[in-house]
Amino acid sequence: MLNKSLATAVAVFGVAGMAMPAHAEVSIMYADWLSSLVEPGIADFEAATGETVNAIKLPGEGYVERVALDLAAGTAADVIQLDSFVVSELASAGYLMPLGDMGSDWDQYQHYMPALLDVVSYDGEVYALPTDTDVRMLWYDKSVFEAAGIAMPWEPQSWDDVLETARTIKAETGIDNAFLLPAGTKQGEAATMQGFYMALLGADTPEDDRNRLRNWAEGKWIGDSPAIRRTLELYHDVYAEDELATASINYATDIGAAVREAMANDEIGILASGSWEFTCLWDCNGGPALPSADERNALIGWTPWPGSGLPDTKATTNISGGWAIGVNKNAQDPELAFQLLTTIFDAGNFGDWTVENRRMAVRTDIAASDAYASDAYLAEATALAADTTGRDTYPGYQVVSALVQQMTADILDGVSVEDAISEYHASLVDEFGEENVITYE
Amino acid sequence: MAREVMDQDRPSRLTALALAFLALIWVSPFFWLMTNAIDPAATGQLEVPQSIGIDNFVQALSGSAGRQFVNSMLIAAGTATLTVVVAISAAYPLSRMRIPGRNAFLWALVLLRMLPATGVIVPMYFAAQAAGLLNMMGIVLALTILNLPFTLLLLKNFFDTVPIELEEAAYVEGASLWTILIKIVLPLSKAGIAVVWFFSFTGAWNEFLLPLIFSRTEAGFPMSIGLYSAFGRQGSIDYGFLAAFSIIYAAPAVGVYFLLRRNMNTGFAGVGVKG
Amino acid sequence: MKYQLHPWLASNLWVLVALAIPAIFLIGALLYFTGWALAFSFTDLELVGRKAVNWSWVGFDNYARLFTRRGFLESLWTTTIFSFFSAIVGQSVLGFLLAATLRTQRSVLRGVIEATIMLGWLVPDIVAAFLWSATTAQTGLINNLIITPLGFEPVNFINEFALPVVIIANIWKGTAWSYLLFSAALDSVSREVVEAAKVDGATAFQRVWRVILPIIRPHIATNMLFITIWTFTYFPLIYALTGGGPGRQTEVLAIFLYKQSFMVGKLGYGSAISVAMLVIVGVLSLFYLRLLKEPK
Repeated sequence: MLNKSLATAVAVFGVAGMAMPAHAEVSIMYADWLSSLVEPGIADFEAATGETVNAIKLPGEGYVERVALDLAAGTAADVIQLDSFVVSELASAGYLMPLGDMGSDWDQYQHYMPALLDVVSYDGEVYALPTDTDVRMLWYDKSVFEAAGIAMPWEPQSWDDVLETARTIKAETGIDNAFLLPAGTKQGEAATMQGFYMALLGADTPEDDRNRLRNWAEGKWIGDSPAIRRTLELYHDVYAEDELATASINYATDIGAAVREAMANDEIGILASGSWEFTCLWDCNGGPALPSADERNALIGWTPWPGSGLPDTKATTNISGGWAIGVNKNAQDPELAFQLLTTIFDAGNFGDWTVENRRMAVRTDIAASDAYASDAYLAEATALAADTTGRDTYPGYQVVSALVQQMTADILDGVSVEDAISEYHASLVDEFGEENVITYE
Repeated sequence: MAREVMDQDRPSRLTALALAFLALIWVSPFFWLMTNAIDPAATGQLEVPQSIGIDNFVQALSGSAGRQFVNSMLIAAGTATLTVVVAISAAYPLSRMRIPGRNAFLWALVLLRMLPATGVIVPMYFAAQAAGLLNMMGIVLALTILNLPFTLLLLKNFFDTVPIELEEAAYVEGASLWTILIKIVLPLSKAGIAVVWFFSFTGAWNEFLLPLIFSRTEAGFPMSIGLYSAFGRQGSIDYGFLAAFSIIYAAPAVGVYFLLRRNMNTGFAGVGVKG
Repeated sequence: MKYQLHPWLASNLWVLVALAIPAIFLIGALLYFTGWALAFSFTDLELVGRKAVNWSWVGFDNYARLFTRRGFLESLWTTTIFSFFSAIVGQSVLGFLLAATLRTQRSVLRGVIEATIMLGWLVPDIVAAFLWSATTAQTGLINNLIITPLGFEPVNFINEFALPVVIIANIWKGTAWSYLLFSAALDSVSREVVEAAKVDGATAFQRVWRVILPIIRPHIATNMLFITIWTFTYFPLIYALTGGGPGRQTEVLAIFLYKQSFMVGKLGYGSAISVAMLVIVGVLSLFYLRLLKEPK
């Protein structure tokens, strides 16, 4: 609607008339860090069909903005890499093509795990295929733990255990980031997922979605709840009360690099992050800088995120995300676009990439393959995935998540939990209306 | 004259020393850039390189860097030239014809342009898409549009300083408008034009967001986007590449500055506008 | 006095109009885009999702939220501090001092200093951000060269003093413009005037304050105007260096606008923020323009 009225106005205005650049038959848009999955797929597709693919590789910086603008303006590529949490949002706006019909004709479609297809669905239709999934945990630096005299393997049972360990680390070693709990707005979704959600899930009983951001039964966003308050209290303890982490590392010029360097220099004790760190703490694409699995196991360890320790809360928590690839609603040739998608996700290419990069499989056939099953790390991480959950990816989630990040940023700034949460509540009401926001006492 | 201004009979050694110290402070952040650029095993830490080599520069110049350099040049020089040509054509009539409210209008435009670029980028994008201008031409046009208010104001003020008597004399001798423009007005405002061109050039050279969303293909990306490939691998930065690439990236703008420097000094004097 | 168009212009009126057409056309486009941004500010338009397609008019809601929600007023204050210290105090004063002192120096020293401050200006923002985060890091230049040798604990400057670091980085990056403008302005001060003042027995301070500064007053005002406007809306260096943080410590209006528009995705609210910025900068500029117009 918006782009139509603008387009008409512009045509009247008289800029029109210059030809669009010649289009290849199929185009694909992806972020450069996914090249090792996408590019072999493109090569296979071109070899098989004789078509040329217009491949648009973009830097990770600005990728989300570009995708959103392109889809809104109708200029997006036919096949698009997406963060799984925006799929429902984009599908609700009518930008993506439902894949169900075409998928049922593809023999490998059945292998996708139903729970993971849920994440990329909207209104009962699947709109994208996931590339990988992940689990979240607390990583710890073994040499820091040794220096602080903490017994390993480390198995904290509650938030208090984690905080106590972190206080010991701080007292014994003096490092600035004894417990790095991702916060603030600069790292976007990472702060929501690796930090806030993991705590939130263990902060209250799962009953009635009391430990979530959305009450699904009533279809309302949760504006205030004991779980949100307890989670913010945890942030307050870490950043303000006990100063177990520095605010600035959450705003570094390149946060990923800053965290990795700090970890390598034994300047982080506990890091709340995800399963990819087993490679990404060195090099996500597995270059020569990556030590062997044994060497890495000697340097770092991990433990599941414990719940808060309050009665009826979960003992350990976990949430999964991941990326996905979808097809543009306005693809010139949907059949061909879907064929490109299935070629990228063909068992051979997809399986190799999954194992080589220690990604968690989204398909039963890959998870059952020898290469995957024989990897000790993947096996353990997959076990953790047995009791996982997904984000509250209902349309509007992106705004909610941004508000959550802002709430954690406010705590870093020294705003009280009470003020931060009332601001959050008010902003939710602004966005969704009073009738779509509830409060838990 | 300089001495009279500051009441010093000769350049004081103390001032020179203080200035040298200031220069040292100013240049110290570049220390990091240099050590990382010449260290093939750069880690991003501030340290004396174990070994010295040009591997980083070779790496930064290989791959798509050549094409990106050409794209940056086309975008920056194209924008600067188009801006200057369009602005000269309009600034001359504006300077010579007493259109009522012209100054207020120019200032209003400059103010309007203060709307941050992020605010107008969305409608611009839709318009470019409708017009089939999601390409390098579109980037140049969009940047020119954003540059015009400042440029118009500055160039009009430069033209105001060209004495009308010279034009009059030429006219009496039978020169056409064209000759007057080419032979008198433009040479006399050379400095101002150099300043405006330089500003448009560096502005366009450093632009990131517009080329990112306007370029349909990787082949159209300029160096400002290529710089981000140093961050490409989900956090694992290639510091050596980053440092070498940014030195290469900054070089043309520095070069253009020193080429135009002589012209620009007087040009800047004209920037002091009368309202 | 009645104004008459010069004959070489009058006889070529249509040529002059034709010359101006491309500019009129492009300025028209700018006004048109700005009009859209203005219109957005009265809607709940979002970047993605439902409200990207089915947006609605919300009147002045977005403007009311500038004052009722956390963010805008805090950012306005941060922006004011940032602009005042980095542009007006830092770049302007330092630029003037440099221009005045460098004139007395040999061309070699002058060339070297000019080159260094120009480098700061011309280096890409993201690189400047890396230079400054490396320089102020706990293992960085300042700590290694000054703090540690003096026997203090290394300081994490961005954690403790985010706003001052950002201000200094911006002074470092932006002084070149003020320097260039002031050194050109000082060149235009005629030698006779200054000498006459000297003969009259004016001290150095009086000569600068009473003679030179009034002469270059238009340059001062223009410089103030431009750097205030630029600094007020400046974004890339701060964003890369601190992302507006820690918390909101360095969240200037431009960053607040970017976050609301592109990270939260509220284009409507973002437009209202940019319109508010426009109004503020507009008022400031009127103030400077008065300074420019009325000689004492």
